[in-house]
Amino acid sequence: MQRRTILQWIASTAAILPFQRLRVLAQPRELTPAAIAMLHEISPTVLPASLGVERLRGTVDKFVQWTRGYREGVALSHGYGHPRLQKTGASPVPMYVSQLAALEAGARAKGGTWSTLDLETRRALLDAAFTKAGVRALPPRPIGQHVVADLMAFYFRSSEANDVCYSAMIQREVCRPIAITVRKPQPLP
Amino acid sequence: MTHETDICIIGGGITSAMLAQKLSELRPGVHITVVEAGRSIFDVQNRGRYRERANDYGEHPWHDDYIEDQQASGIISMTMAVGGLALHWGGACNRFSEEDLRLKAMYGLAVDWPIAFKELERYYCEAERRLNVSGAPSQYSEDWRSQPYPQPPIPLSYNLQILKAWAENSGLKFDGLPMARNLTPYGGRGACCVYDTCGEVCPSGARYSPDFTFRQLMEPQKIVLHDRTLVRRLVLDERRPDVVAAQGVHQDRPADPVEYRAKTFVVASGYCWSSHLLLLSSSSRFPNGLANSSGLVGRYMNGHSFISATANIDDQTFPGQNMTHSLISRQYFRCATDKPFVRHDTRVWESSAGRDPRLRTPEGKLLLGDELMADWRSRTKGSSVRLRAYVDVHPSADSRLTLDASKKNRYGDPMPKIEHRFDDATRARQAATTAHVLNVFGTLAKASNGRIANSSESDYLDHPGGGCRMGADAATSVCDSYGRTHDHANLFVVGAPTTPTGGCTNGTLTFVALTLRSADEIASEFPTRR
Repeated sequence: MQRRTILQWIASTAAILPFQRLRVLAQPRELTPAAIAMLHEISPTVLPASLGVERLRGTVDKFVQWTRGYREGVALSHGYGHPRLQKTGASPVPMYVSQLAALEAGARAKGGTWSTLDLETRRALLDAAFTKAGVRALPPRPIGQHVVADLMAFYFRSSEANDVCYSAMIQREVCRPIAITVRKPQPLP
Repeated sequence: MTHETDICIIGGGITSAMLAQKLSELRPGVHITVVEAGRSIFDVQNRGRYRERANDYGEHPWHDDYIEDQQASGIISMTMAVGGLALHWGGACNRFSEEDLRLKAMYGLAVDWPIAFKELERYYCEAERRLNVSGAPSQYSEDWRSQPYPQPPIPLSYNLQILKAWAENSGLKFDGLPMARNLTPYGGRGACCVYDTCGEVCPSGARYSPDFTFRQLMEPQKIVLHDRTLVRRLVLDERRPDVVAAQGVHQDRPADPVEYRAKTFVVASGYCWSSHLLLLSSSSRFPNGLANSSGLVGRYMNGHSFISATANIDDQTFPGQNMTHSLISRQYFRCATDKPFVRHDTRVWESSAGRDPRLRTPEGKLLLGDELMADWRSRTKGSSVRLRAYVDVHPSADSRLTLDASKKNRYGDPMPKIEHRFDDATRARQAATTAHVLNVFGTLAKASNGRIANSSESDYLDHPGGGCRMGADAATSVCDSYGRTHDHANLFVVGAPTTPTGGCTNGTLTFVALTLRSADEIASEFPTRR
């Protein structure tokens, strides 16, 4: 194949590639360092600050790991009774990055950084962001509507949060001997 | 390609596994071939990871367990794989009661089963042994049993102990639900570790799953399993009404049809695909399909409807201890013959309904961080209780599975369409039945300052069966009590499709018990080899 033919082939192929796909190829596949830093900055507002710095940091780190483990186009649970085939959508990471950047810009527009804003201003920013993203309730798990709602779902829907809420070692999702379940759950240490 | 075998079992679900296992024990020299349209998913070692991904990402834990163009309208699960729906069943192993088998004689309703309960009870015991059921004998004397459960009952969690005491204030007696769940390792499967995902995937294999049985039968070559092979039709002998071949196609070799020639054919394809195959196998001699001289193949499709509710009570529980275990009362399995007919089981689960974390207050204020946790904690005093009743409803002849010419698979076969319909008597008593069940729930709730928060009625039938109902009369049934079709002596249908009515509790144990009884009859066709 001559060089001109190759270039013509590349040009014609590029012309029929969906624009969307090219745009996606240019988008981040992982949360950027700036996005991760913003998540850490937001976490004491949206997760229980009473968990302490280390557990907050650990929760954000696990959420970042969750984004790395996300797979596109995988069949979701079919359901029972009225089953239907659904698949996981595109990675939420590019949207997460832009949503975090928007929150940072929103904070700047209010005259500070996220941490320096008062709680009600932060709440108003998140309220507007959730409304724009269509978030009406706490998602059952991260579902890619809004990064902060997903971070909150990641924690509040967890077995760990359930234990914190009930102040008891229920350990809902932990493999454990069945004999343990016959006793009232022990208080958290 | 043609395969010769003695017994060809079409379908690879729980009844197929139990049938193949028992036949291989009764007649070790007989060649048994199981043909399943879906794939084998035998990677037990990965199930812990699949569970994690199901929890974390909502991914389906049984990868590629469906065939996209082999789906039915009105079906309750898409799964088509070796193991069938029992790959992800909850493991509930309730028995039907004598009333289920004698509806006509006792109440003048529906139809009697052509089998005595005492006879079926023997096979319940065998089914419980093979599935290694863990259970407590019912507190109701009518629920007699001739043998103890093979395992002690699943220990009641602290939550269920609280709820049992609460529920029994109503005067009903409750026991832990019998389940096919290993308390100690058994049958090559592990012990229960309370993963609490029985109905999704069990990483330890404690909850019985047919894939274990198939692997155990295949490795010593007790049976041959051909997966990913769709049987599309059964072919009759040119003169006699005997089936001589099952014809199908392997997913990877669509241009090279596969044929199975056998002495005996058993359709073990569940409530949907069994009738479907018989209807697809029409010919000039049998234009309405095989085994269908009565015209009843695909009719009397059954199951049970259900009514659910959430109660709020003051007793304190800790949701998440063992959410897949529950309590059952069999009080309303019985119904006095001089009272309006109503039969149902009564089930109780721990629940967190209405007490889960929420993003906004009822006034719409966005909750964040510690506020959200405080709001959540403030709503955890007391308990939610999940209640459900499976209700005995009876099908009409128009409760049907038909071939839908508008939906075809890649081979051009019309796909099934299932539409459930109740008989006149069921429809006439429907409002009274609902009122009765809600009254029972209300009575339960009264203890511990309880009240019913909400209730709902099902929009599909659970544990469906029918389509090839059994009976003594060839004019009003498709097969006899062993599943042998009236029209073709060497063609059997087993399990759910053969049930005339759907009972008022989980059906799987009954489907298995009936199949084990069929196995004795099928084995009798083959002389014992010395």
